[in-house]
Amino acid sequence: MTAIADFKRLLGPDRVLDDPLERHIYGKDASLMRGPAACVVFPSDADEVAEVIRIAKRHSLPVVARGAGTGLTAGASPITGGVVVAMTAMNDIQLDVANQSAWVGPGVINLDLSHKAKPFGLHFAPDPSSQSACTIGGNVANNSGGPHCLAEGSTTSHVLGLEFVSADGDIFEVGGPAPDPIGIDIRSLIVGSEGTLGLVTRVLVRLLPLPSDVRTLLLDFRSVADAAKTVSDVIAAGLVPAALEMMDQRMTQAVENWLHAGLPVDAAAILLAEVVGSSPAVESEAAVIESIGKSNGARSVLIAADEAERSLLWKGRKSAFGAVAQLAPDYYLHDTVVPRTRLVETMTGVYAIADRLGLTMLNVFHAGDGNLHPLIAFDSSDPEVMERVRRAGDEIVALCLANGGALSGEHGIGVEKRDLMSSSFSEVDLDAQARLKDVFDPTHLLNPAKVLPSGSRCFDFGGARLAIPDGAWI
Amino acid sequence: MTVIGDLGTEIEGAPKGLHVAPRTVEDVALVLKEATASGTPVRVWGGGTRQRFGYQPPDGIVLSTRHFAEVEAWEPDDLTMVVGAGAHVDEVEEMLAGKGQTAVLPERSGPGSIGGAIATGTSSLRRARLYSLRDRVLEVTLVTGDGRVVRSGGRVVKNVSGFDIHKAAVGAFGSLGVVVSVCFKLWPVPEASATIRLDDPADARLVERPLAVLETPHGTDLFLWGTAPEIEQVAASISGTAQAGLYWPDDPEGSFQWSLRIPPALVADGLSRIGNWRYLALHGVGEIRLGSDNIEGAVDLRIWAEHQGGALVLTDHPDDQPPVDPWGSLPATADLQRKLIHEFDPARIINRNRLPGGM
Repeated sequence: MTAIADFKRLLGPDRVLDDPLERHIYGKDASLMRGPAACVVFPSDADEVAEVIRIAKRHSLPVVARGAGTGLTAGASPITGGVVVAMTAMNDIQLDVANQSAWVGPGVINLDLSHKAKPFGLHFAPDPSSQSACTIGGNVANNSGGPHCLAEGSTTSHVLGLEFVSADGDIFEVGGPAPDPIGIDIRSLIVGSEGTLGLVTRVLVRLLPLPSDVRTLLLDFRSVADAAKTVSDVIAAGLVPAALEMMDQRMTQAVENWLHAGLPVDAAAILLAEVVGSSPAVESEAAVIESIGKSNGARSVLIAADEAERSLLWKGRKSAFGAVAQLAPDYYLHDTVVPRTRLVETMTGVYAIADRLGLTMLNVFHAGDGNLHPLIAFDSSDPEVMERVRRAGDEIVALCLANGGALSGEHGIGVEKRDLMSSSFSEVDLDAQARLKDVFDPTHLLNPAKVLPSGSRCFDFGGARLAIPDGAWI
Repeated sequence: MTVIGDLGTEIEGAPKGLHVAPRTVEDVALVLKEATASGTPVRVWGGGTRQRFGYQPPDGIVLSTRHFAEVEAWEPDDLTMVVGAGAHVDEVEEMLAGKGQTAVLPERSGPGSIGGAIATGTSSLRRARLYSLRDRVLEVTLVTGDGRVVRSGGRVVKNVSGFDIHKAAVGAFGSLGVVVSVCFKLWPVPEASATIRLDDPADARLVERPLAVLETPHGTDLFLWGTAPEIEQVAASISGTAQAGLYWPDDPEGSFQWSLRIPPALVADGLSRIGNWRYLALHGVGEIRLGSDNIEGAVDLRIWAEHQGGALVLTDHPDDQPPVDPWGSLPATADLQRKLIHEFDPARIINRNRLPGGM
């Protein structure tokens, strides 16, 4: 019996997709990399996921978990084939208001969780720009961030517990509503592991109280350096705003053309700052930010007068990537992090790379975290441009690493940055990661060929280098 | 014989055995490789403050981290600090406070070391607002049992490159390796702070995102920080005795020290079950630190805590070996944990036995 027949027997024909068009649709996520999906299955609980994994194991079929497919690094693209396990049917939300938490299915959409929690005065802090589409399972897989992670941290800090299915089809629950689970914290390893250690089937998320008041400020500057200095000075003044986002001139122009929000299109950089909390807190903090901004040459400081104005400003920030469509049909969005003090010189270098390669580059990013998102707008119908886009990407990453940065701040490694891992970690570091992978998934059934480069486990300490054939990881 | 660090030097308070105090990471690796080859247990020693937490390891080598006490890098504007595992928590925090920053490490740690806080997973009392220790750790360099020097994470405040071994090292009692240095995500300290002894503990609920709400037999204290106008206004809105500054309580007295970990909504219920034990309850977190003179009542309390998805952990005691299982029921992933530890400490030499189930 074929694997597909086994899946259909388990889930019924309606929850298994195997026609060519559907396999094509699920052959990639929002990245540029595609693979041959054998079929797509839609399990509804951990028991079904466990059985899916057992069937896949029997047929030696790779297992690739997928949420909404908004990932940008091919983490959910079945690049070596296999069954795509779509988690979207697992979208139950069980609020526990007293403990300010909720058990949620991995298929729950990020924004839906906050909407459901809102009547109880709670929300889920991580807010990726794709939050109206991306799923909690995807957030857990990539340890996603978002503008409001400056003050509250990334997804890992908001996962209290989770249930996952192992590569053997066993179901485990780790962590929980009580703090500090005893023993090794497996939860911390599963979060951010991009579906390579286990398939997450339920997540216990922390919910934070909704702030009673908020102030959103838009500051406009004549230079990126002035805006960056403002960010540093705000933090040096003892403030960690809820968000500190920067947009460069090209991006501001693109957004304004589309949104007509009255953004200052002649500013070299705009800074979106938000403070939340009690009214006295936000009033005094907004005053500090305004004063620091002005002392660093801000031409104007706009404070959103009401929720409508605030929403418009955030719409501009969170829809920035969509606004790029007016410049070119395609874009390649990068994600790297540098120490905040290296922000200005890194930005200068990033622009130089784009100029030298004749590419259109726009920037909108989490300035408070030093998390850059250079965006290259291009037309993929031009056969020659892709090579330059890729080269620019490699050069940007190399520049960020040279400036003391990291490969990715919130999008993950996937396939996109897998082979760059060795520029960030030593052979011994990667070997340790590969050993960890082998403990969870010795046959590399779960999302193979992701995160770690081929041959990572090749370091035989104190002995000869073991010969691992190319593609052993795959 | 190769002389490694201060070989044979006496480590005050440590049990008998070969005492070593390596000066370089390479020497730590050498000690551990040798110990793995001979199957000699290694007990890692920082400030010696939490050595009776968990089952006791067998005698063998005592490895002091005291020569790893340097600040390797501190970039105040980047909000990161890389510090050696042997540095004292209190001294690091004092240094940071000089520039208006904190690493959100446990308060009043005495001679406790950075490595000790990491190994035991001890968080700050400010965790309701500023999260737990694992959330503050950005990078860890550790030396595995077989002498590999492994780095995980990075020196930036946001990073998703690879598996978070550095977070799993928090609370792992060295089972993934001897931690030699840690990069922390720092936090700026605001201009004003206050401690308010509340007349009515229920008033704590009126305050948005306080730094901590701590209850002891003496009363409930609210800890605040922020801008001066904010603190003044909040202090004026609730009734209690306010003092400028943060006055952290000591852990409760008692020769037996416990950590009761339960869902946060059950703290009041937990306090109703502890008899005459002394306590320090972290509201909003779900941890109650307990002090007792004996172990009477522990079994019932543990059964209740585990039934609620939590645990009752014995963190200190006056005897050579803990008089009761310090941890309680084994986690469901114990087998997975053992396999993981095997990859990092194949001869199981580092702090052997200390984890649940004597792992």
